[in-house]
Amino acid sequence: MLRIARKEDMTGLRAVGVRIAAVLLALLASGLLILAMGYDPREVVRVMWSGMRTLKALASMIRIAIPLAMAALAVSIAFTMKFWNIGAEGQILMGAFAATAISSVLPEGTPGALRILLMALAGLAGGALWALPPALFRAAFRTNETLLTLMFNYIAIRWVEYLRCQLWKDPAAMGFPQIAPIPESAHLPQLLGVHIGWILVLVLAFLQWVFLRRTKKGFEVRVVGESEKTARYAGMTVGRVLLFGVLLSGALAGLTGMVKLNGTAFVLAERLAGGDGFTAIIIAWLSNLSAPVILVVAFLFAAMKQGAGWMEGLAGIPSALADTVQGLILFFALGSEFFIRYRIILESRHRTERKEAHP
Amino acid sequence: MTDTTPLMVLAVFLASAVRYSMPLLVGTLGETVTERSGHLNLGVEGMMLMGGAAGFVTAIRTDSLVLSLLAAMGGAIAGALFYAVLTVTFRANQVVTGLALTLFGAGVANTVGKGAVHASTPPHIQAFFAWQPLRPDLSAIESVPVLGPAAVFLRTVLLEYNIYVYMAVLLAVVLSLLLHRTRLGLHLRVVGENPASADASGIRVAATRYGAILVGGALCGLAGLYLPLVHNGTWVENITGGRGWIVVALVIFVRWSPLRAMLGALLFGALEIIGFKLQGFPQLAGNPLFSQYIIGMYPYIITVIVLVANSARKKGGWRGPGALGLPYFREER
Amino acid sequence: MHIRKILSTLLLMTLLAGVMLAAGCQSGTPTNAPAEKVKVGVLYISPIDDGGWSTAHNRGFVMAENEIGKDKIEWVTKENIPDTDAAATETALRIMADAGCQIIFATSYNYMDTVEKLAKEYPEIKFEHCSGYKTADNMDNYFGQIEQPRFLSGIVAGLTTKSNKIGYVAAIPIPEVVRGINAFTLGVRSVNPDAEVHVRWTNTWFDLSLESAAANELLNLGCDVTSQHQDSAATLKAAEAKGVFGIGYDNPMGDAAPKAYLTAPIWNWGAYYTKKIKAVMDGTWSVEQYWGGMKEGMVGLDTLTDLVPQAAKEKVAEIEPMILEQGNDYVFKGPIKDNQGNEKVAAGTSLSKADQMGMDWFVEGVVGSVG
Repeated sequence: MLRIARKEDMTGLRAVGVRIAAVLLALLASGLLILAMGYDPREVVRVMWSGMRTLKALASMIRIAIPLAMAALAVSIAFTMKFWNIGAEGQILMGAFAATAISSVLPEGTPGALRILLMALAGLAGGALWALPPALFRAAFRTNETLLTLMFNYIAIRWVEYLRCQLWKDPAAMGFPQIAPIPESAHLPQLLGVHIGWILVLVLAFLQWVFLRRTKKGFEVRVVGESEKTARYAGMTVGRVLLFGVLLSGALAGLTGMVKLNGTAFVLAERLAGGDGFTAIIIAWLSNLSAPVILVVAFLFAAMKQGAGWMEGLAGIPSALADTVQGLILFFALGSEFFIRYRIILESRHRTERKEAHP
Repeated sequence: MTDTTPLMVLAVFLASAVRYSMPLLVGTLGETVTERSGHLNLGVEGMMLMGGAAGFVTAIRTDSLVLSLLAAMGGAIAGALFYAVLTVTFRANQVVTGLALTLFGAGVANTVGKGAVHASTPPHIQAFFAWQPLRPDLSAIESVPVLGPAAVFLRTVLLEYNIYVYMAVLLAVVLSLLLHRTRLGLHLRVVGENPASADASGIRVAATRYGAILVGGALCGLAGLYLPLVHNGTWVENITGGRGWIVVALVIFVRWSPLRAMLGALLFGALEIIGFKLQGFPQLAGNPLFSQYIIGMYPYIITVIVLVANSARKKGGWRGPGALGLPYFREER
Repeated sequence: MHIRKILSTLLLMTLLAGVMLAAGCQSGTPTNAPAEKVKVGVLYISPIDDGGWSTAHNRGFVMAENEIGKDKIEWVTKENIPDTDAAATETALRIMADAGCQIIFATSYNYMDTVEKLAKEYPEIKFEHCSGYKTADNMDNYFGQIEQPRFLSGIVAGLTTKSNKIGYVAAIPIPEVVRGINAFTLGVRSVNPDAEVHVRWTNTWFDLSLESAAANELLNLGCDVTSQHQDSAATLKAAEAKGVFGIGYDNPMGDAAPKAYLTAPIWNWGAYYTKKIKAVMDGTWSVEQYWGGMKEGMVGLDTLTDLVPQAAKEKVAEIEPMILEQGNDYVFKGPIKDNQGNEKVAAGTSLSKADQMGMDWFVEGVVGSVG
């Protein structure tokens, strides 16, 4: 009889082994797929590598990784409370929307640093406010927050599209549907070839880690995630902790939008988030919701994106095939988690009595 | 000749809303089956694309409608199988796996579809879907006052569809009966409501969930096939254009009911095309409520309202599958 | 335990990089490109095989490749990059720049600001932006006067319609599209002053379902000829299903709806692309803000099919030489009124280029509003 049991905790080395095996299997499967589609996998690897080995490529990957990591940090706070915030995409957009709104009412001569600071605050507020209704409804009625935050994404996307094409259409854009770009003084300064968003990410990751592991509020957030009952027994107001955590999560996502706006895009459009809010969910999950690991995984995802771009551009591989390969790698990664968290036991019928919450 | 009396304009609008609602309806039926078993599969878009690509490519290669339908179901089932294995057997997170399936499905479909871009639906399949089996000949009474126009109105709204439409309606009815009137349906609902007690009473939870996910996938595949094979007559990349996400919203909007899905899909289908009707009224041009982009929000806004209202009901009212999105592992009971 | 997890992930990453490095070294013999070779980057908004806009550009690059020589050009192409996603646009352009492209063509309007940004960062690379207005020392823009064949296709529509209602499925309310609708309508009214052109906006360049929904709405209004500023053949197919006629766009579209297809205003980017790539090869590239018309061969009218009435064929043959001679001055020659009855262009003059570039009003005969 096959039996599946939870592992107490796999030792680091064995977990690494499982993960490496999964990635190798995924690469093998991808290679076979690429071969089956009539391309030479060695050529693909060569091209991908040529797109990663230069300093410029490194800068490019970091630029891609910044919003991914920030948004992943954002959703991981909510996920820690088992609040499935899949609304980062919309929160990113609304953060950028709020930042643009503030910037547009500031007088022209506002110093760049002040403008950036105010836009960052607006970004935090915009993202938090967009996360507020789902949090309130979940706290009040136990409304399914996964579905609610998902819907809020699409409302935000349409809203920004409406702004771009009608309400905020820039008269200076020669009749093209475009929102006026933010002033040059609001562009984030560059450091080592990349906008300073990368420093912000490192700081935020550290702060988040400290918050969750070392502060009382962070402890509450974690307890609510472990078990709401326990939290209640311990005298916590679950609703308030939930609200606080979700607002924090939304605010970080909103800040991500502001960083994307002021760091790379310079103009608000409905594609500003560009799927980063969804990718961030996968990153946060594969990182086990741990801030330092998120940094690493976000960088790996950026490398994957960059490599896929080169694959398409230079090896002539359609972007669709690159998507397939990425999907395949995700499947293997998701599957491998099982072998880290559970073990399969061959024995006669016997049931453990242990009760444990699923992460 | 085109009839432009207001009544006929309405009839023609309703009829095209029905046509536009088809992929939404069939996809919603599929996702409803899946969600009723307690699994939230966000990969609808991916499965629709996989089914659409597989079915359309098969149609132009083999010229066979039957093989095309089978391929559409098969293609989407393949996607659903990834999801089922990962979430049921390997216990991966449902949301994350669904998102991965969306990416993967789009990639596979657009790769497979490369060869079918610009190909047209084979003529005899086109002819089959141009056939309106229930359309009565009204030439005898058409000129009778009142009765004539009324009959033509009803015919346009109800009887001028191809066989896909009637099959979809039949499917909704059958699924509803299956869910509420059969043991199988009861088991499915119990598994989605409370897997632990289902398990205790001897229902095979994992097998039921596998079945629901795969059936749901198959229906999403048929929904995806409608767009290239019936509706557009050709394949292009990402042909579903986000309809998979509308489906996810619709399932909530109709509160997991196959019968209400028909009305819900009709409403969302009408919202998809009403913008073109409104453009005929220049006096509405500046009004934000009738802006095409704001109209695009309505499906999601009303879904939010329904979702919140549904959960705000008093205790005792049904608020959707109780175990939706929650993993179930017997060992952790 | 936590540190271990981080370490393990790092280890994994190193391993992964190692695998890639090994594989890269094994097959990666550095290719020393001969000096007469040129690396060209092309950025597309939709799939190259969309049958519309991107297909037309690709047709141009294929022609350039045949002219210059297959072994002389290395391509770095990225398709399906939405032009309102600035980050994706930047990533794609950087790949081209870092891969060593000497000239990069960005073929959609909204790429403009990102192109400008990268042009500053990569002064040694020549950037060609289609349909915009910004320039720099190494950033040029180019476009074509598609209004000329649009006017001629309007003549065809005006002499084909029986109901005097013509439908126009339009993409996005920007001057380029408005200009096209107006040119078409002026062509229609030059031969049939009673005809009206009804417009429906889809707010997308390329979406089969929306395009056919807009087309069907127009057909249900009683339109018996359609025209389009859309990149797919969905409108033509809808017209064919109704048993009426249609005019395509971008490329010859006859295969998509042979029973409805009259003609199409088409793009021929090939000559321009050949010229500019050659210019980079021999160091003569310059900013010229090229805006070619029918005379230059940048745009044209597809061969009129047998469905076009004889009278229309004759009329087109009569007007075409004048357009070849006078260009857009002929198309937008006064008197022109807008569809509110105000005179916009006086008799004896033509609309200035600047006014054409910012056109945001409809000429008399168009039923609908801009945006």
